[in-house]
Amino acid sequence: MTAEPDAAVDADAAPLGVSARPPRSLARAYWPIVATGAVLALVPLWLGDSRLMMGLAIDALVFGAYAVAFNVIFGSTNQLFLCVGALAGVGGYGSVILADRAGLPMVVAMLLATAVATALGGLLSWVAVRRSLDVIFTGIVTLAFSLSFANLLLGQRELTGGETGLVVSAGPDTFLGERVAAYYLFLGMLVAFLVVFRALQRSHVGWAFRALRDNELAAELAGVDVARYRVYAGLVGSAMLGITGAVFAHSDGFISPSTFEFGHVDVRVLVMLAFGGLGTLLGPVLGTVVFAVLDEVLIDFGQFRTVLYGLLIIALFLGFKRGAVPAVADLVRRLLARRSRSS
Amino acid sequence: MKAVVLDGIVLGLQFGLLGVGMTLVYGLGGVLNLAYGQMAVLAAMVVAVTLGAGAPALVASGAGLLAAAAAGVVLDRTLMRPVYRQRGEHRVLLGLLLTLGVAFVIDGLLLWRYPSGALRLAIGGEAVPILGVRMRVGSLWATGISLAVAALLLGFRATTPGRAAHSVIQDEVGARLVGINPAAVRTFIFAASGALAALVAQTRSMTSPVGVTAGFDFTILALIVAVVGGLGSVAGAFLAGVLLGIVSTVSAFYIGQYITTIVLLAAAALTIVLRPRGLLGRSP
Repeated sequence: MTAEPDAAVDADAAPLGVSARPPRSLARAYWPIVATGAVLALVPLWLGDSRLMMGLAIDALVFGAYAVAFNVIFGSTNQLFLCVGALAGVGGYGSVILADRAGLPMVVAMLLATAVATALGGLLSWVAVRRSLDVIFTGIVTLAFSLSFANLLLGQRELTGGETGLVVSAGPDTFLGERVAAYYLFLGMLVAFLVVFRALQRSHVGWAFRALRDNELAAELAGVDVARYRVYAGLVGSAMLGITGAVFAHSDGFISPSTFEFGHVDVRVLVMLAFGGLGTLLGPVLGTVVFAVLDEVLIDFGQFRTVLYGLLIIALFLGFKRGAVPAVADLVRRLLARRSRSS
Repeated sequence: MKAVVLDGIVLGLQFGLLGVGMTLVYGLGGVLNLAYGQMAVLAAMVVAVTLGAGAPALVASGAGLLAAAAAGVVLDRTLMRPVYRQRGEHRVLLGLLLTLGVAFVIDGLLLWRYPSGALRLAIGGEAVPILGVRMRVGSLWATGISLAVAALLLGFRATTPGRAAHSVIQDEVGARLVGINPAAVRTFIFAASGALAALVAQTRSMTSPVGVTAGFDFTILALIVAVVGGLGSVAGAFLAGVLLGIVSTVSAFYIGQYITTIVLLAAAALTIVLRPRGLLGRSP
């Protein structure tokens, strides 16, 4: 990229997102996850009576889980996977077809479908790494995969039900069909994903991730196997996407191509994560909550909703160029510094 | 077979034009304009409305071009300012997100105002035989316009503003040293990109209607063509456009419509994997 001399270039042009080291102490590293889980666990007490509202809350958690997975892949290792919805769809459709058509037990079907999604994500990551594709090129290849998958769903009518979708028979009659129970299951998954994210950050894998984010060439020269760690991230994130898609399909009882559509899933996940802060632990959660609330507020505006949504995106990103979580952290740090100086 | 390939070229030249608008803006500003397709649809709606008001075809067409070019200038002069202040991948990501917001705004406004709007430029006349293949007059017009603009674009490289633009793409600091103002060049290219989008919307509408919801489809197609051709390369975008156009019509004819999209996407992905800089892309 060429230099930009006609305006003051932001001096602290760090790489995308945040590569800060996670806290050393176990308590300080994990308490934000515990706190998040505890707060979100209270939601059914408030909304539990309304099936509709609980459904929306579950949708929000599912998107939160997608966002954490995307954060592992894009936020940690800079691979722009524009196939979040497609990989979740491989999990969802795969599991439903295996359970309902092939008659496998539901849990086995979920695991098999997740394995397929993991393998596909790993393969995409491996290809991108082998051919050293940069951010945009990785984005386009995965976008092509995404759109092909959507077309396949529409075309293979006898298997996928085409545009009308599939009514899922395995799952909704178990506890997965109960909204409050499903809510806690998805909350458990979200918390587990956050724990995995933090554990990765704290392990030697996290060191490698930060090194290759900050300066890929330097990391490579220092002996970090950049390729291997990228594929690791691709595998872990894709597994998260696959299992989330599979569990969601069986819990919701109905899937259609639009459930996993690029415009519905990927665009939203990218916006959510970029707003919350790429590479931050709680960025995906913050983005999820903010956009779930926004959706509810904007729903009264009918047709005008898209316009307001667009205006908000513009305003949010002009305000928080590096994400809301880093902005808030900066603010807190500055306030603390002022207080310690005055005392 | 010959007819199928000719159809592919007709389609491909329009793909190419679409890709050029995307690739030029990226080459100059490092911005992938996700509101690009919406600029095309905006132009289509302006043309449809002015035609509906009884304006002559040329005036309506000109109004469409102007509207999209103006949208480009406004975008460059306002929202893209903070983007240009960023560097590297920050710039790409902020550009993507802000133009995505703009895309939602334009999409929402158009859908709200013209819920079922569509542009269809019907061009009458008997089919004309070309190389023994009977071609529809609409296709011929679309091809003629695309070829003329392609020639204009390639000729533009030889003019002074063309050289200025090229020098900014190659080396922004160097361009400044010889007295070129990159900001002015970028605004100009953004306007040109809008006009290109408007043009493609109109040539497309000569063979099939362009609906108010077509924005993101245009954008994705433009992205794919631009990336396969090599970001920043005008000739690459045309080459990629024509190749993908031929792949698209041949596979639609021999394999079937539904598989075609997949074949097209697979061809694009394969090209990128085989040539990670695109067909005619420069190495960094």
